Amino acid sequence: MKAPETGDWQRTSPFAILFFIGRTLRLIAKNAWQSLAPLFVVMLSSEGGLLDKIVLGGVAFAIIIVTGSVLSYWFFRFQILDDSILIRQGVLKKKQLDIKFDRIQGINTQQNVVYRYLGLVTVSFDTAGSASSEGNLPAVTRPFAESLRARIGRKHDVAEIDDTQDEPSTRALMRLDWRDMIRIGLADRRALILVAFAGPLFERIEENAERAVSEFVAVAAEMGLQVDAGNAVTIGITIGLLLVLLLIVVSIAAAALRFHNYELFLERRTLRSHGGLFTRHEHSMDLGKIQTLRLQQGIVQRLLGRYRMTARQAISGGGARSRKVFDIPVVTAALADQLRKQLLAPEGGALTQVPTSSQFVPISPYYMRSRLLFLGLLPAAIATIALWPKLGGSSLMFLLWAPATALLVYRNWRRAGYLHDDNEIVRRSGLLGYRTVGLLFRKVQRVTVTQSRYQRRKDLASLHMYMASGSVRIPYIDHATAKQLRDYILYKVESSQKAWH
Amino acid sequence: MFQNPEIALDELPGTELLDWQNLHPNYKRCLRIQRTIGILIVVAAITTATMLLNVPLLKAGLLLSIVAVPALVLLVWPAISVPRQGYVVRDKDIVFRSGVVWQSVTAIPFNRIQHVETSSTPLDRRFKIATLKLFTAGGSSGDLKIDGLGQDVAEQLRYFVLEKVGTSIEST
Repeated sequence: MKAPETGDWQRTSPFAILFFIGRTLRLIAKNAWQSLAPLFVVMLSSEGGLLDKIVLGGVAFAIIIVTGSVLSYWFFRFQILDDSILIRQGVLKKKQLDIKFDRIQGINTQQNVVYRYLGLVTVSFDTAGSASSEGNLPAVTRPFAESLRARIGRKHDVAEIDDTQDEPSTRALMRLDWRDMIRIGLADRRALILVAFAGPLFERIEENAERAVSEFVAVAAEMGLQVDAGNAVTIGITIGLLLVLLLIVVSIAAAALRFHNYELFLERRTLRSHGGLFTRHEHSMDLGKIQTLRLQQGIVQRLLGRYRMTARQAISGGGARSRKVFDIPVVTAALADQLRKQLLAPEGGALTQVPTSSQFVPISPYYMRSRLLFLGLLPAAIATIALWPKLGGSSLMFLLWAPATALLVYRNWRRAGYLHDDNEIVRRSGLLGYRTVGLLFRKVQRVTVTQSRYQRRKDLASLHMYMASGSVRIPYIDHATAKQLRDYILYKVESSQKAWH
Repeated sequence: MFQNPEIALDELPGTELLDWQNLHPNYKRCLRIQRTIGILIVVAAITTATMLLNVPLLKAGLLLSIVAVPALVLLVWPAISVPRQGYVVRDKDIVFRSGVVWQSVTAIPFNRIQHVETSSTPLDRRFKIATLKLFTAGGSSGDLKIDGLGQDVAEQLRYFVLEKVGTSIEST
């Protein structure tokens, strides 16, 4: 394949058929019934034994998918123009996609095992505007992808003032090793969710387990072993622990699958990462496109002393939110601040985003009042009164809800805070863990100061900063401070000559 | 020549002494009529339903009187809320205030506006009022909607904002 030249329509490598097969299968998996229904009808209406039907159906299914994919490949053509890339695709319904280089926010590549062997990658474009990711170039050579990336990067560099010329073009920022895979795996919240969902399942297992244990006790007794109830409980706990261990192993394996050999580097003004065990994912994001920078720490991550950092781009509605996020799965506090300096340079990055910093300014303690009232006292009182006729005195235990929420509300207040200098602001929040969000004032889209009746009485207000990636709110600060910040943000935005995206 | 003068926070233009522009005088009446129509539809629906289901007259009356309270609030509310809404167009941004219990002041800088839209319902047109919507890149939460402007004002504002957006983009 040629390097990206201006001009002719080209096809990608025939191995793109694999990509189309994969895409078709994913589509079918998503809407399984609608897609398979016709096939079932054919299978049921034809004569013959069930096994024959299944085999026949399978063969027909495979033929249809492969033919479809070959046709998709045949009709997939692209052309690289001076300032845009054209993609023509579709077998029956023709579609032409015109992606302008300056709308491309980032280029990501993926490489599965087969592609890696062949040196091919699938390129996908992050564009501001369309929510769906139709901008895919399957199975192109890696040098081609690189030159495309360089070409699009060049367009950006021309548009912006490039002040990094004397620096080396690529700087390695960090890499993850196997210990980090364990950290990511342990901190993965999805494992917890899985456990929560598996709850009902466990109940059924528990029933069977009980029977199994009693059988086991009986068998053991026959063999002359002493197994009493205490031992049975021990066995139960062991099984439970093993299950938890299994979940942890699975989530560590998932982390390794996704982030194996993860490397992060800065190439002029583009942040890039790649990693992955079988399928290699490669992400890139233009530094200028970063709207907010987040640092998160859950309970497990707190024990490990690590954070997760994400950089968010402008969203454009629709469901493709996760793709607009650049993920740095595990960083230390020191590295987080160091990265932040580089990502928000040249204007920002001076502040710290590590939540344990003593520089954070607390918000007003009045923040707790309405929460205590509406989350704590009111539900507790209602529950107690409503259940009094049924439960009598024991309904008083619902009153315990109030002190429990009081504790949480207090923690929530302690964790809230903010920090700002002339160019940027960092907000801290959290309940069990921590989350900090940092942003540059000049990238704000709209700013609002809100006051409830109660806040007016105490001369407090909440400041909302609407970013292209979502809104950031600082509740319960002095009304005067909120207004001053708002006026300053407006000044920064209105005097800024730089593009916000 | 690059300049970077120090900015005194106290000297930044605030929103205290702004000359807030009120919404169109017809807006209150328009809102009331719109809500009256809505309430009449609900009342009609309840009446037909009770008649069809043979609900005793007393119970039906009770049901309607329950509806009457929020209906009354809905009809009286514009008189309280509309005077508290207002907007100011400044050189670099547009500021909108609203709210009775939760009061808010929103500001959108012109150089962040993506596009502008005016719209009006048939009832609005009867009262010569229109809605102005300002879209930013912040998704639906970042947009600003100003109801109850005079038709001519909304049109003027739309033109003015577009003009401003155009020049602010050119200067970047």
